Order: sequence, then C-alpha cells, then structure tokens
Amino acid sequence: MQVRVRYFAGARAAAGVEEEKIDLDDAGAQTVAVLMDLLGLRHGPELTRVLAACTFLVDEIAAPPERELRDGVQVDVLPPFAGG
Amino acid sequence: MSVDSSRIHPPQRRVVLTAISDCPLDVRAHERAVADVRSGAVVTFSGEVRDHDGGRAVVGIEYEGHPNAAAVLAEIVAEVVPQTDAEAVAVTHRIGELAVGESAIVVAVSAAHRHEAFAACSRIVDEVKHRLPVWKRQRFADGTEEWVACP
Repeated sequence: MQVRVRYFAGARAAAGVEEEKIDLDDAGAQTVAVLMDLLGLRHGPELTRVLAACTFLVDEIAAPPERELRDGVQVDVLPPFAGG
Repeated sequence: MSVDSSRIHPPQRRVVLTAISDCPLDVRAHERAVADVRSGAVVTFSGEVRDHDGGRAVVGIEYEGHPNAAAVLAEIVAEVVPQTDAEAVAVTHRIGELAVGESAIVVAVSAAHRHEAFAACSRIVDEVKHRLPVWKRQRFADGTEEWVACP
C-alpha cells in the first residue's frame, strides 16, 4: 500500500522534502509508528530526533502512534506547536 | 465564575471573530469588534515579535500555519469562551514573515468587569498557544535561524 506524508515546519526542514509518497509492505499491520521508523531511516538522525517530538494526523484527524494505516491515507507530521 | 449580583443579563459569550491572516493585524479593529454596551472592560492582548530570545538578537519571525489552522482556532475559541464570563471575543493569528514589533496574535475580550475580561483573555491566549497548529522560525541577527520548540 501507499501513503502520502506531509511534513510541516521543522519536520519539513529535517526531512528536506515537503511531502512524499511512501510504499509500505501490505503483509502485517502498518501503523503510524512503523511509518515513522521508516521515515527516520530514510532521512536520517535529524528527522528521527524531530519525529520523537511530533504528533500526527491521519486524513486530518489526530492519530496515536498505534493507529493502523490504510492504502491511500494522508499522514501529516506536526512538530510541537509554537504559535503566538 | 463568581456570581455577579450587579448583572441584569447573563454573559453573552459571543465569538465575533476568529481568523488566520497573512496581513498585519489591527488591534483597534479587534477592540471595536468586541464593543458591547453590557461591557465595562475591554482587555486586548497583542503577542508581538521581540528583538531577542534566549540571549540572542532576533530580526524577524516567520509563522507557518497548518491548512486546518483556521478551523482549529474556531474550535478552540468555541470551546473555551463558554467557560468564561466574556460578553464578546475576537481572535486573529497572523502567518507569514513578521518583522520585530509586529503582532502575531491579537485577542480582544469585552466583559462586564475587568477581572472577567483579564481572565478570559489570558485563558484564550494560553489555549491557542498550546493547541493551534502554528509554528515559528526565528531569524537571528547573526544570520542563523531556528524552528522554535522543535528539537
């Protein structure tokens, strides 16, 4: 299956891309946590460090790391908020 | 919330404005928007870009908002205002490139008395800062920059 990942702010800076499509193995349960491990390996320690502090949206709804992913979903990677 | 025996009507708790804007914010316009004959107090908070942070000279801040930021702001304010004694509330968060001295957020609150207005304004600012999906990149005088609160 394939998911679309969108990075924001410091996560985008660490990943070096704004968004990307990621192929995941269809065998076994794929979760947000599994996807984040994969993204860390793909982009390196700087992104891994940022991901540890991030929250996630799956199709625009807040999702915990254990949330299972389906084909075609959009996953947003949100660093700690810093408004105001 | 204490019982106010001077009241004729209960607090209206109206949300007159919530917005994300890429234009300079008008503090006075927010104050006018919350003007209310039942209010004896208008409290306005303007969160502004200061010229230093963590002992370093700051020359500007870029604010970035998630595409959902306007909807989230409306949701936060709709949730918090009923827990206050405000008559009316107006909130805007700015995004884009801001220079030192510019407003990043304006919260204006009218209420029957000052304590209610101060309390509601403070509460709204805290909730928005905590929950709104907005980020800032500080630019320092030495040419470096950092995403604030990002490890």
